[in-house]
Amino acid sequence: MHNNETLKLQRNLMALVEFSRTVNQSLDLDFTLNNLLFSCMGKFLTTKGLVILNREGTAVIRSAKGIPNEEIEKFNTGSVKFGGEEEIRPALPELGESIILPISSSRGELGCLVLGEKITKKDYTTEETEFLKTVINIAATAVENALIIAELKEVNRNLDGRINRLSSLFELSKEFGLLSDERRISKLLAYSLLGHFLSSIYAIIYFEEGHNRVIDTTVPKIKEIVEDLANRSITTHHLGASVKELHPDLSGLKIELVVPMKIQNETKGLILLGKRGGAYDYEETDIEFIYSIGSLAIISLENKHLFMEALEKQKLEEELELAKDIQKNLLPKSIPEMKFYDIAATSISSKQVGGDYYDIIRKDDTNYYIAIGDVSGKGVPASLLMANLQAFLKSICRQEAEISSSTGIINDLVSENTTDGRFITFFWGIVNDETRSFTYVNAGHNPPLLVRAGEIRYLDKGGIILGVMPTMLPYASETIELQQDDLLVLFTDGVTEAKSPEDEEFTDEALEALVKSITGLPANKVLERITEEVNKHANGAMQSDDITVIVIKVK
Amino acid sequence: MADFKSGLRDKDEFSIIDLSGYLDAHTAPELETRFTNLIDKNRFKVVVNLKDLEYISSAGLGVFMAYIETMRENQGDIKLVSLKPSVYSIFDLLGFPLLYDIMKDEEEAINKFKEQGK
Repeated sequence: MHNNETLKLQRNLMALVEFSRTVNQSLDLDFTLNNLLFSCMGKFLTTKGLVILNREGTAVIRSAKGIPNEEIEKFNTGSVKFGGEEEIRPALPELGESIILPISSSRGELGCLVLGEKITKKDYTTEETEFLKTVINIAATAVENALIIAELKEVNRNLDGRINRLSSLFELSKEFGLLSDERRISKLLAYSLLGHFLSSIYAIIYFEEGHNRVIDTTVPKIKEIVEDLANRSITTHHLGASVKELHPDLSGLKIELVVPMKIQNETKGLILLGKRGGAYDYEETDIEFIYSIGSLAIISLENKHLFMEALEKQKLEEELELAKDIQKNLLPKSIPEMKFYDIAATSISSKQVGGDYYDIIRKDDTNYYIAIGDVSGKGVPASLLMANLQAFLKSICRQEAEISSSTGIINDLVSENTTDGRFITFFWGIVNDETRSFTYVNAGHNPPLLVRAGEIRYLDKGGIILGVMPTMLPYASETIELQQDDLLVLFTDGVTEAKSPEDEEFTDEALEALVKSITGLPANKVLERITEEVNKHANGAMQSDDITVIVIKVK
Repeated sequence: MADFKSGLRDKDEFSIIDLSGYLDAHTAPELETRFTNLIDKNRFKVVVNLKDLEYISSAGLGVFMAYIETMRENQGDIKLVSLKPSVYSIFDLLGFPLLYDIMKDEEEAINKFKEQGK
């Protein structure tokens, strides 16, 4: 008997040494717990055993033998408080005459070991309980170490995850910075999302003013509801149940997460994602990450648009500068001195550069052509047509032809040279510096004013505007014998249609009243008064058309 | 930065893509083109050999996600082989091993294909 006892003790000790060596070799929690359970179950011949861990006050079954998975799940989802035996036991599955022993270390209660009823149906003796406590004490250190390692691993994994996200953000910001095109931006965004969340269902939606659209997706049906989505004013993310509730249509398309892409709090787009692949759900940090890369992408998209707009605007401005240059070069640099005529003229370009033109061309010692015109349209095309007109005029002025038939020829030339519906309102006349006679043709231009003795006469003889159709009817002309102190005012509609800040026009009446009141002044003063009055009327308002005036005072 | 290169070899019905260097947002479109070309040619059984791949970013991983379904819908797959430990840890971090066959070498991947084909 004595010998038998010694043998038993020796066997127990050997088992303890063996157990200690095994569990302390490994830092793997599962391995340690498995060993603990199997050792105890083998020793006491029980078919059921489990280890419960204390996870921040909640009891969780971490390892179990001989217990169905459903039972374990039921326990683990039941949020059982980790306390004494009386709190844990009621939640446990039926184990018969079982024993529960705490696993403690310097860090407090790590958990507890539960062993089921012995096959022999005998109770656990005091001696056996003591032995179990010894085993647990040995195991506790190993469990503690394994737990610390697991925590470290978890922390490391989280850190790796964060580093990975940061490097993604860095990478994307670098790529997006290169002003790559919209398709590429959306592809890179999509790939980063897919790579992180392993979902193959996604859509990237861009709310551009007046052009809401899906820029990339694996769910083509989203395109049908894009306008509707724009109207929903989504300002915060929706996940899972709230997608189901607020966006049943998206939920029907297997969308699990909706995250707005915002610039300065304004939603400019949406990222839609399906269920996250693998074993995870979307967590708060995931959504933060999606917000971050969404912002990067949307800013990049917007920048690209702003850049294109700026480029477009710059191109336009350069074009306008060019048009202004052309126009300026077309206008006469100086006005010839004449015996009977005191002439002053000006042309003020509007911001957009209209197509006003005037010219004074010497034919010979006594005859001068005076011309004013307004080409339809603005910018470079108008300037080019104006340049054409001047070339025609300069060459035709040298011909010995009646001004009326010359006008017909010019109309034919202009008609041939305009294909896009442009036209020119045009007035020109020839003044004789020996006889004071003046012959003019008006091709659809605002009739110039002839002021004689306080009366106004409109110079409106002529024909249709230039460039609309080839000349069918000859242009009419009129010859007027001018008298001393006659005042001729030629102008473009930029004068009479000059806008005030209240959007009111200067009007023909105002111009006529003005010129009637200043017939006594020399040409340059009359011109000055007209521009002064027009400026006063405009009162700083931006003018959309050029303003051109020629004043001829007969001496 | 090590250049990214991708090569293509055919081994019977299997297409083997060799990747080397850095696969990131910048180089992802190149791999994308490889996959779209394969799909155009109805070749859906793809083994990607990552023996010489030095680094992969999440945008690079996303390319695999974007094409795996098409391959699987057409009785094919994308199997990844010969990953360096540093590259494997990135795949692992994002949970790829749950969704992809990640294998030791080409032979193992092809055998798996053949097994699945039965």
